[in-house]
Amino acid sequence: MNEQTSALVALVNKMPDPDQRGMYCADIDKEKIEGAIAKILKGGRDNIIGVIDMLVEPGKGDDVKAHYALHCMALHVCKLKNDRPRRRFSRTLASQLGGDRPKEVQKYLVRELQIAGGKEVVKALGALLVDEELCEPAAQALAAIGDGAAEQFHSALSKASGKCRLTIMQNLGVVRDVKSADALKKAVSDEDGAVRIAAVWALANIGDADSANVLVRAADQAEGWERTQTTKACLLLAEKLRAAGRKSEAVRIYRHLRDTRSDPAERYVRDAAKIGLAASD
Amino acid sequence: MQKSKRVTRRQFLKGSVGAAAVFTIVPRHVLGGSGQTPPSEKFGGALIGCGGRGNGTFGGLGPNVEKLAICDVKFVKHADNKKVYRDFRRVLERKDIDVVAIATPPHWHALISIAAMEAGKDVLCEKPMTRFIAEGRAVAEAEKRYNRIFQIGTFGRFGRSKNQGDILTHKIMKSGLLKPCKAVHIKRGGLKVREWSGMVNAQPKPIPDSLDWDMYCGPSPLRPFHPHRFGGTHRGYWDYEGGGLTDMGQHHFDPVQWTFAKDDTSPVEIEAFAPPAHPEACGMWGYVELKYADGFTIVMDSTEWPENKKPSYNRKESRGVSLSDLSEEDQKKIKEMPDPEPLVGFPEAIRTRKQAGGHAAASTRCVTLMHLANIAIRTGRKIHYDPVKEEIIGDEEANRLVNQPMRAPWHL
Repeated sequence: MNEQTSALVALVNKMPDPDQRGMYCADIDKEKIEGAIAKILKGGRDNIIGVIDMLVEPGKGDDVKAHYALHCMALHVCKLKNDRPRRRFSRTLASQLGGDRPKEVQKYLVRELQIAGGKEVVKALGALLVDEELCEPAAQALAAIGDGAAEQFHSALSKASGKCRLTIMQNLGVVRDVKSADALKKAVSDEDGAVRIAAVWALANIGDADSANVLVRAADQAEGWERTQTTKACLLLAEKLRAAGRKSEAVRIYRHLRDTRSDPAERYVRDAAKIGLAASD
Repeated sequence: MQKSKRVTRRQFLKGSVGAAAVFTIVPRHVLGGSGQTPPSEKFGGALIGCGGRGNGTFGGLGPNVEKLAICDVKFVKHADNKKVYRDFRRVLERKDIDVVAIATPPHWHALISIAAMEAGKDVLCEKPMTRFIAEGRAVAEAEKRYNRIFQIGTFGRFGRSKNQGDILTHKIMKSGLLKPCKAVHIKRGGLKVREWSGMVNAQPKPIPDSLDWDMYCGPSPLRPFHPHRFGGTHRGYWDYEGGGLTDMGQHHFDPVQWTFAKDDTSPVEIEAFAPPAHPEACGMWGYVELKYADGFTIVMDSTEWPENKKPSYNRKESRGVSLSDLSEEDQKKIKEMPDPEPLVGFPEAIRTRKQAGGHAAASTRCVTLMHLANIAIRTGRKIHYDPVKEEIIGDEEANRLVNQPMRAPWHL
């Protein structure tokens, strides 16, 4: 172990030991932790990677202190007025993605990027959207970062399948990517019910006026859980259109729901449509 | 004694109910409206989340609700999709269920509440209402969109609303005449910080055969299974709740919120004294100070950290409000103000379709207190909050904890 590594290990060891219950509930010294973290970060990229090197897969060893230290580093760089240390930290984490590190370690790095990352790491996160094990945390980090995320979701959609495709589709709605509306419309008739529901919600949340007929038709044909979800999407789209000043298109959706939900069990949907109509006057 | 007997809508419409009507539960929509009360004044109910708080929460639905279905992710082995379910979506598809009691861990509270209202059900949801701030607004929007009844599972405000001293404070605060407000409410202890902390060294364990772990994690990250993340001790993890503060806070602060007339707003400045938080496990903190725009301040003092020291918070003294804080002219205005309307309990609300006293729009303001406190604890930064937009101002990274992305297919 060289001098720099042993100094880093000593600093990481200043993180608290878990108590008898395995918790951080005893002898938690704020000043000691924050002092050690500041010193680790002064060591720059080498120290950040040094801490990452101490991380292991769950069940494969003890990385409690390194795990906590990396998170404290993320918190520390977000506190600084100067944005450069934060960017340097997040770029360093991103540089460790996609390689040979265990997937559980990469998941943790992605989750720390959800806290401290910015536009500078969206490309690295976007590359994980087609990875079955990493697409969920990567999508969540991208959605949290927001800036630049839509492009990543949009370009990954055609390459993804299964869980990754569903995740991307939902997040195209979260980030309201208008450019993806056509692809989402095709997915409304997908054979996978979860994909259909994700697509109609995404179109509604985007507020895509051209989707009104598609959504209404989907809601009319669906049953059970899918029917309540697609009906919700219709009401959501109508609200978005109303807020955007496109009242006549919103009214058309409300009237349709009011006039077609004749089953007594769907009386509440008729009532919701009437509330929407009244608000559209 | 004759047993209650349910009939389908079709049977009822064919007039097959006959003389048994007095003892028959008829879904309320059958008589032509979600606002209608069935003749027996009986409702079909479901319990979703059958852990420690399950039966207690279901009892809050009132005496006129029959339990027709129970649902839990741990019912993998004996779910029959008739009375016992493992997937709440199948429960919500049933047309004979009018009301739902939700006693799952909190990371499911908002999503199931919303889904239930989207399916036309009324909801009684165990506290804390949500896992993060944006969920509460989404529940309130669903409550409004579908005109459903929602009640949170804490009832301290009902007692306060009948107490003359609290009513007077409520009227003074509601009037807006007290500017600035110097009132300070300090809650010392009772927030179970140590009790509901999470493990930082938990090693993965095999998933029990009876448990649908993926569904349990739901909108939260899919983690390796450990029993401490499940079955009550889930409270110690950010993925599912927010420690003892979130778990107990809605009980402590919901009555305060009513008394000080803060049902429609939130604090604007939040500052915490705490060590750096762990990324997954809730842990120790000292105190949090939350200040509203009018100056009213809430202090949450854990009294549990730092250890072996005097109470960590002593900068402020508790202070209430009184008529003498106002000019004579303003005192007269307060005396002329009508008392607030009595709060409506859940059983009455589902019968009369009046808004429940612990409705979603008010409850989300209360749970927001704990979420803001936890954001200040978790980020280690002073937070400035916009109570209208319900966003943190000038701190993009902290704002990410206000609306946390979910794992598909779950979303707000």
